[in-house]
Amino acid sequence: MMLAVPALAQDGAEPGQTQLNGTIRFGFDQFFEGVAITVADSSGAEIGQAVTDTDGRWSVPVPGPGAYRVSIDTGTLPEGIRLREGQESLVDAVVDAGQSRAVVFAVGEAPKGTPFGERAAQTVFNGFKFGLIIAMSAIGLSLIYGTTGLVNFAHGELVTFGAVIAWYFNSSWGELNLIVAAVLTVIVCGMLGAGLESGLFRPLRDRRLGIFQLVVITIGLSLLGRQLVQLFFGAEPLPYRDFQVQERWEFGPWAVTPREVATIAVILVALVAVGLMLQKTRFGKATRAVADNADLAAVSGINVNRVVLIVWIMGAALAGLGGVFQGLDADIDPFLGFQLLLLIFAGVELGGLGTAYGALAGSLIIGMSTEVSTLWISPELKFVVPLAALILVLLLRPQGLFGIRARVG
Amino acid sequence: MPADRPPPEGPSAPEDRSMLLDSARRTTEVEPILTVHPEPGVAKPNPILTMDGLRRSFGGLTAVDVDHLEIERGIVTALIGPNGAGKTTLFNLLTGFDRADHGRWEFNGQMVTSPSPDRLARRGMVRTFQLTKSLAKLSVLQNMLLGAPNQMGERLWAAPFRHLWRNQERTNTERADELLEQFNLARMRDELAGTLSGGQRKLLEVARALMSDPALVMLDEPMAGVNPALAQSLLGHITQLALSGVSVVYIEHDMDVVSGISDWVVVLAQGRVIAEGGPWKVIHDESVIDAYLGRRRAGTEA
Amino acid sequence: MDFDIIFGNAARAAFGPEAIILALAAIGLNIHFGFTGLLNFGQVGFIMLGAYGTSVAVATFGWSLWVGIPIGLFLALALAVALGIPTLRLHAVMFAIVTIAAAEIIRILIGSTDAIGLTGGPLSVSFDAGAFFDLNPYADGPQDRYGVGTFAFTGQQMWVITVGWVLVALVSLIVFLIIRSPWGRVLKSIREDEDAARSLGKNVFWYKMQALMIGGVIGGMAGVIDAIKTSGADPNGFRPQVTFYTYTALLLGGAATYMGPVLGAILFWFLREWIESFLRQLSAEAWLPGAIADFLEGSEGIISVAMVGLALVLLMLFRPQGITGNRIEMQLDAR
Ligand SMILES: Nc1ncnc2c1ncn2[C@@H]1O[C@H](COP(=O)(O)OP(=O)(O)OP(=O)(O)O)[C@@H](O)[C@H]1O
Ligand SMILES: [Mg+2]
Repeated sequence: MMLAVPALAQDGAEPGQTQLNGTIRFGFDQFFEGVAITVADSSGAEIGQAVTDTDGRWSVPVPGPGAYRVSIDTGTLPEGIRLREGQESLVDAVVDAGQSRAVVFAVGEAPKGTPFGERAAQTVFNGFKFGLIIAMSAIGLSLIYGTTGLVNFAHGELVTFGAVIAWYFNSSWGELNLIVAAVLTVIVCGMLGAGLESGLFRPLRDRRLGIFQLVVITIGLSLLGRQLVQLFFGAEPLPYRDFQVQERWEFGPWAVTPREVATIAVILVALVAVGLMLQKTRFGKATRAVADNADLAAVSGINVNRVVLIVWIMGAALAGLGGVFQGLDADIDPFLGFQLLLLIFAGVELGGLGTAYGALAGSLIIGMSTEVSTLWISPELKFVVPLAALILVLLLRPQGLFGIRARVG
Repeated sequence: MPADRPPPEGPSAPEDRSMLLDSARRTTEVEPILTVHPEPGVAKPNPILTMDGLRRSFGGLTAVDVDHLEIERGIVTALIGPNGAGKTTLFNLLTGFDRADHGRWEFNGQMVTSPSPDRLARRGMVRTFQLTKSLAKLSVLQNMLLGAPNQMGERLWAAPFRHLWRNQERTNTERADELLEQFNLARMRDELAGTLSGGQRKLLEVARALMSDPALVMLDEPMAGVNPALAQSLLGHITQLALSGVSVVYIEHDMDVVSGISDWVVVLAQGRVIAEGGPWKVIHDESVIDAYLGRRRAGTEA
Repeated sequence: MDFDIIFGNAARAAFGPEAIILALAAIGLNIHFGFTGLLNFGQVGFIMLGAYGTSVAVATFGWSLWVGIPIGLFLALALAVALGIPTLRLHAVMFAIVTIAAAEIIRILIGSTDAIGLTGGPLSVSFDAGAFFDLNPYADGPQDRYGVGTFAFTGQQMWVITVGWVLVALVSLIVFLIIRSPWGRVLKSIREDEDAARSLGKNVFWYKMQALMIGGVIGGMAGVIDAIKTSGADPNGFRPQVTFYTYTALLLGGAATYMGPVLGAILFWFLREWIESFLRQLSAEAWLPGAIADFLEGSEGIISVAMVGLALVLLMLFRPQGITGNRIEMQLDAR
């Protein structure tokens, strides 16, 4: 709606051509090229043919208003894709004069021949990995909220930046190996976090700007960041150069790629390191003290600003790394982070705001339920499940699974 | 931590607060309570609030553990106890702001089955908060008007039609102005409540609670942070309230105030009622002094 | 560079259907956020149900538009109830996130391939809004234009705009009447401190629910106008940023004021279209180096949305109360 250029700007242009058209697609992001469509009039005489373009679009002009029969050549659909149950390959359509009439062919993935148990094992594995990516990206969000009370809506864009910067290092600037690119990305994102905190948020806290205003600023930054990615990187999803095709290792019911194993290993190491740091080190104690009561911490000699700065650096770096891994799984586009942000929020909330282990558990639950749900429902609906689960849990436990109810009075 | 939280001891009160005692009162409403034997959990002649087995713990800490307690109607009851004794938590439980692990209580002769703060308030049990909750972006007068009960204009269907609620609003405004006058806030009537000082907010909160003609007012440290002169008049109001038939429970740390205006004193320590009775007796009770000094006595644990 | 065209385009966007839709959405959000303090980040969900309720009733079920419109509004109301019951007790931050999530759930479901038979799924839905345009009193020939220069509308657009702005005025009036009443006072007290409101005997949950319903239905009206204007609905038009734009408009005009959302919506579209038109003109300038022109070409829309983000940041930095808001009230937040 409001995303479009105001329709007004184009209105009053040429009156439409009488035609039939449509898009062969699956979900929001898969468009099928090269699918053949044939249009015939009601007597069966062929009027025209079309083949879908890269965006899955086709259109066939027709001589005038009336009823036509449109058929799809299912043989031209890509492998593994077929018409959905109940979708006929021949469809009747009526066109009015000067109108384009959209004709729908619903397609979906063909059922795979894999046994249920194996698919279940695979989705659990995918869910675990996805949950870990969410958890790692969530650390920063959770710690920043804990120490400063700020809900950072731009955190998703930090994730996107991670993926995009790694892509540039990997595919454009110097064509570095993705591992090198990932390390550089983590450094860049950490610096970005430092810049945001010391250049923007600390001065604003010092100016005693209200928390809501700060949140709105992060929303603004989120929009800005996403548009910048779209401007420079483009809206088209792109993959990394490395590690795309890998042989799978078989572990019992699991067939996993080395990159997936590496993803999980790196994230587990990172999570354990952060956990130990929060539990054991002086910085960790200081962080917890600041989260508990920043004024009190300041009075007892803790350098609150330094703690918050480190939290930002760490959080942004981890979010960036999360983006790198997410980019390995799904192709990179400007919405990568924002889509993940909702799940990060869901994980953090499910566990209970401000609880570190709650956030980890919540993220894993969210990741698992996202992937495991695909055993039963269409993958394009998979994000519905964790979000709905979140709402249900909050219905029963408004403070989240591990949260504590705030005191009154 | 907000600045208006009082230091634990509170400002030392002028000696003459006890003079506020209204001698007429002693002979009328107060008399029956004087005959009650001062021991924890004792039954009273005409209780407005009766609680049984009320318990609330946070993790390992039992904040409130009251076996039996009655609050007498029409008098001023002070609830005292050291910091962290569970006084505020007890208020929260009784007024429905927190949920008890166990326990039942009866208000005005009726069992409180599903304690919801607003329903209890409408039944006549209103409270104020230790950390003031003035509605910052509403004017002082609007704050007051919010306290008025049964407002026609608060129903959505009637809201757009001013003539339906104009008269009631006028009556409420008159009442609010009276109270503001009494509480020395008339000058601030049209200011935003957020601009008031900490002490003025305390006053506003008490005045606002009185807008609803409650049966029982529960004041959580109403005097904290209020300057001595104003505190004086606030004390006067509290005594006045009891005279007009309202029951008052208030939490206070200043023993001069407590002995000055209370008809009855309940002492809470570590969640339990360790003593209750007339002010002089209780304040000089040794177990109470021990509780304040943090000593435990075998006798009070049973 | 022709500034007449730029201004004409900007003015047309500022008074066109887009601004009406945004104004209605912002008026609804103002009840939620401005007056009640509900951090509703799912306003787009209400707009979406208004638009889809109307579209689907007409396109899929073949009912009259006059049945479709109430259905759209009813669905928005139903969403308020369904969303409010589990979420109105939540912490403000949690409420914000759950409302975004709820709106996304609805968008994904409506836009899924499984829903093609009902909502058109990812292919969007379109219907015949003839019942509305039959009442159009403006002459609507191909040559008929109302306005000057690029600030001109067709007869059909004029009809949408007339009805739309009358609706905005009516809704604003009703909002004014209910907010200045004791009912509105209770809403504001909930915004300030809901425990205080409770302690004064107000059924906070129920008042919040009423606010959510009213603001939601007004959001639904925005959706209805959107559906009529475009003769349909497309799931991609209801992404979460629509809610963020609505916040931008509201904060720009001034939250918790009566005229703020309307002024904010007008200004939002004026500025956004001004920037976009300006860039479009700029990229056509001969003196511009080729590289820059190529970069600008086709990116005007992206840049103008980026400017929305920047505007939000600057607004919060320099005038957090919006153009009509009260500075003193804002400062109370910091205390
Ligand atoms: N929501 C909560 N979560 C955890 N502990 C709590 C909570 N509310 C109260 N407590 C604990 O319960 C105990 C009693 O607290 P409460 O506020 O009732 O004390 P109080 O008697 O009002 O003290 P003061 O005189 O300082 O106001 C304290 O130890 C406090 O830390
Ligand atoms: Mg207390």
